[in-house]
Amino acid sequence: MAQLSYREAVAAAIAQEMRRDPNVLFLGEDVAVAGGVFKATVGLLEEFGPLRVRDTPISEQAILGAAMGAAMTGLKPIAEIMFSDFFAVCWDTVVNEIAKARYMSNGQHECPLVIRSANGGGARFGAQHSQSIENWAMAVPGIKVVAPSNAADVKGLLAASIQDPDPVLFFEQKSMYGTKCAVPEGDYVIPLGQANISREGSDVTVVALAAMVPKALKAAKILQEKHGVSCEVIDPRCLVPLDTKSILESVSKTGRLVTVEENPRLCGWGAEIASIVGEECFWNLDSPITRITTPHIPLASVDVLEDLMIPSVDRIVSVVSEMD
Amino acid sequence: MGTKVTKSKAKTGSAGKYPLNETKQLELYQKMAECRALQQRAHDLFMQNLVKGTTHLGLGQEAIAAGFGAAMREDDYTFNTYRGHNHNYVRGVSMTAILGELMGRDIGQLRGKGGSMHITDTTKGAMGSYAIIGAHMPIAAGAAWSAQYRGTEQAAVCFFGDGTTNIGTFHEALNFAAVWKLPVVYVCENNQYMEYTAIGDVTAVPNPAADRAASYGLPSILVDGNDAEVMYETAMAALEKARSGGGPTLIEAVTYRHYGHSRADPGKYRPDEEVAEWKNNRDPVPNYRNKLLAAGMDESKLAAIDANTEEMVDKATEEAKSSGPPPDEIAFTDVWADGGAAWRN
Amino acid sequence: MNVLMPQLGETVSEGTIAVWHIKVGDTVTKDDPLLDVETDKAAIEVPAPEAGVISAINVAEGDTVDVGVVLVVIDVEGEKSTAADTETANPAAAPAQVPTPVAALISSPASTLATGAVAKSGAMLSPAVRKLVSRHNLDVSAIAGTGKKGRVTRQDVLAIINGGTARTDAAPAQTAVTGRSTPVPVPTPIGSDARSLIPFDRIRKLTADHMVMSKATSPHVLQAVEVDYTGVDAVRKSHGPGWKADKGYSLTYLPFIAKAIVLGLREFPKINSSIVGEALQLHPLINLGIAVDLNFEGLVVPVVRDCANKSVGQIAEGIKALSIKARSKSLSPDDFAGGTYTISNSGPFGTLMTAPVINQPQVAIMSTDGIRKRPVVIESESGDSIAIRPVGILAQSFDHRAFDGAYSAAFMNRVRNILEQQDWASEL
Repeated sequence: MAQLSYREAVAAAIAQEMRRDPNVLFLGEDVAVAGGVFKATVGLLEEFGPLRVRDTPISEQAILGAAMGAAMTGLKPIAEIMFSDFFAVCWDTVVNEIAKARYMSNGQHECPLVIRSANGGGARFGAQHSQSIENWAMAVPGIKVVAPSNAADVKGLLAASIQDPDPVLFFEQKSMYGTKCAVPEGDYVIPLGQANISREGSDVTVVALAAMVPKALKAAKILQEKHGVSCEVIDPRCLVPLDTKSILESVSKTGRLVTVEENPRLCGWGAEIASIVGEECFWNLDSPITRITTPHIPLASVDVLEDLMIPSVDRIVSVVSEMD
Repeated sequence: MGTKVTKSKAKTGSAGKYPLNETKQLELYQKMAECRALQQRAHDLFMQNLVKGTTHLGLGQEAIAAGFGAAMREDDYTFNTYRGHNHNYVRGVSMTAILGELMGRDIGQLRGKGGSMHITDTTKGAMGSYAIIGAHMPIAAGAAWSAQYRGTEQAAVCFFGDGTTNIGTFHEALNFAAVWKLPVVYVCENNQYMEYTAIGDVTAVPNPAADRAASYGLPSILVDGNDAEVMYETAMAALEKARSGGGPTLIEAVTYRHYGHSRADPGKYRPDEEVAEWKNNRDPVPNYRNKLLAAGMDESKLAAIDANTEEMVDKATEEAKSSGPPPDEIAFTDVWADGGAAWRN
Repeated sequence: MNVLMPQLGETVSEGTIAVWHIKVGDTVTKDDPLLDVETDKAAIEVPAPEAGVISAINVAEGDTVDVGVVLVVIDVEGEKSTAADTETANPAAAPAQVPTPVAALISSPASTLATGAVAKSGAMLSPAVRKLVSRHNLDVSAIAGTGKKGRVTRQDVLAIINGGTARTDAAPAQTAVTGRSTPVPVPTPIGSDARSLIPFDRIRKLTADHMVMSKATSPHVLQAVEVDYTGVDAVRKSHGPGWKADKGYSLTYLPFIAKAIVLGLREFPKINSSIVGEALQLHPLINLGIAVDLNFEGLVVPVVRDCANKSVGQIAEGIKALSIKARSKSLSPDDFAGGTYTISNSGPFGTLMTAPVINQPQVAIMSTDGIRKRPVVIESESGDSIAIRPVGILAQSFDHRAFDGAYSAAFMNRVRNILEQQDWASEL
């Protein structure tokens, strides 16, 4: 297997699907000629040409509306929203239009599209370019939500998202674009809705997503070595559809649940998982469910403050080692 | 105060490039008459409390839908707003399905899951009714992009109200469509009031759509939206341009709604004399009937359409009424492509 | 003044109102009995803390409430208001505002409050532990907690229930739980009527569940030895009358047997243990549970603590004190806690031999049966002869998971030798 970076895996998955299906198109700001502001789509224009890989004006509503109109009429567009924070300027298109088209039309409308976006903090970009908004997306019925934690998952899950007949919001972690791992060559697809058990353990279930997964894995290693605590790290990979089975099975085994979320605290995705586990796994809980999140604040730009707010390896170690 | 658009300002009359034979004229009249009857019946059923929720009627605005309906190809796409019963109907959508949907019956076009504001029939190219102002303008551009990419020479037509010209998507979509030269026709139905506020009171230019066309490198087109033949000709020209790769068209069609914005809104914010002028002297349906008679049309042909229309709408009403409410289980269908609503395993 | 559900032992979190001795409007003086509270271990009387008039009774007979719940309100003369009491009863209601460091702001803001509330209740039992303890009728106080601050964790309980690989695999617990819910066919009673149906009382139900659980948990093996009590008898005859005159009760065989068992356990520590996961947890103390019959109305097993160095007389006094409390129903929950080995004494009824059921989570139990004179063959260098000796059988059931028959047999043999050969006069 080749070592690919997270950003190279994005381009690899898009290329894989554009070669497979001529109805797959790609549009967004600075995505074609420039290859994306994060250089995640370099080479696509050269391979697939300007009819399939297109630069747009800075018009997020137009980008998503165009993607939806194309998806409704037989194509499979991939749209890029440069920073996930910008979903706020086109949220109507996502929530009121894309998410509801099939249901409101009693199944007449199809909406097979993917919206990719750079999500999350760690890049010192300040409060308007650093948010983790996967929990916004999770709150809307009718859209699937994917957030991969490594390059291999980027390739497999982005390919699956493009093939999926439903609209998918695909959150790429901007601080991870440079991270590398072994990525399977050739056609590679990971079905949506299957959590990955990133590390097996017996004492605590740690559910982490995207950039929080490598942090949870580092913390798990320290917890095992220094505190004798065995963590099972689960990466749901998708928030919708959510693999609750894997989480419930794990918590039934360990009796303890910790969620590690980059989103601010209130209504973060971990709250939903805590609620599900609280309702369905209560009698197997041996300790209060604990959420580790960014506090309920906008993120600061300066590194010392941003690092203080986003859950860290040390914070995970500290919280888990002090659990009852 | 409403914008006083007069016939002298708006383009009227035939340019002669798209001549109308008698068949086409009767088609235009029939479409308008049926839309009128359908909308009037929707209003009556609402007042009888048989239509729940809300309705936004296009009474008085039939000529725009009829003109485009008569000009469009079967595989063209229509995108319209919540005030969209006319636009759907002229594409061939069933009257029973529309009334059934308004009444929340199982026979309704969307089995009650959409309602009055979301009438859709993709099999007829009626690509949906959109209830967020302006949201459908980029979506129509997307359908046009799709047609352009697939090389089908289809066009997308997007109807919207005057209020839409002040929202962001209007500008995003027009720029986008112009830059990509998309086969889309944007039709502003300027009925002169947004909801309860006159468009002229809140807009920087007198003709809210036409005066902005230049911003997107498009010609300014202002037409009499209450003249079915003008609308037909305007539609034909725009669609031809779209199909031939000429890019988008922005049309402002001036019209007036006979009723209020929605539901039982009496529209008291409008001057009585203004309403009377549009209802009595500028009503598109009787005006076109009179025009055809004056031009020598055999009245029995028009009378036959009138009689048939009345029968149709009565039959559709009875069919819709005879259907019950939808079954509970459809609440959980069609969230996803697999037909279901599951978000977890 | 509010009277709260008392803490009935260190690990008890709730109690059931057995009977009210007073009603609203009654005038009580300090220490008058107000009500009896039952726990799964004992019944106790709650006395009036102050004199006054009963103004409210909040809980009905038969109801089970948590420790700290207001049971009854007494209007005490000169007392201003009960509001203050209400506040102290709910310490979680008004958290103090204190300056918070940044670290606390980053973490969950509710943690301090939650910890306070849990600590106040006195029972840090998680949902998982509560479920398992309830289903398996375990004595939580007897479980060694390995969690933070000695908390009993789910793994601790699973280890005792399963004796399996509880720390890494929860499946056996699921099996055990669901296994119990399988309906068992109930034979139709013949000629039954309501008058001949005796519903199980609380102690009967608890005993029944515990016996089923124990038999399901431990593979029982019975071993018995025949003991010649001549030496013990001699001491009883020589010291018994003086003992009775001094203490007011008879010097029975039981304290001698108990002492012999204690000496044996010191040499065979695996018998004084519990199974934890895949390990045997040896108990540092020898706490002897003594099964006491409550005039055929139930069986309780109070514990004589730390017997390792107690004399026969001290053990006798411990047993006597517990049996008096048991029969007057005044044992406290703590009197039952922490047993490591149990003796069941059917001897007074002249039984020949009893196969006892292990008192979980212990691994062995001894039955002492009837002692009567029998002809015994005495072997000596000058040849065999027949003598008349006081003889009785000691029978031990042990958990074969914990150790094997040879170990148990060696222990039994040792206990017999001690009973037959010890210089009992000096042990008294």
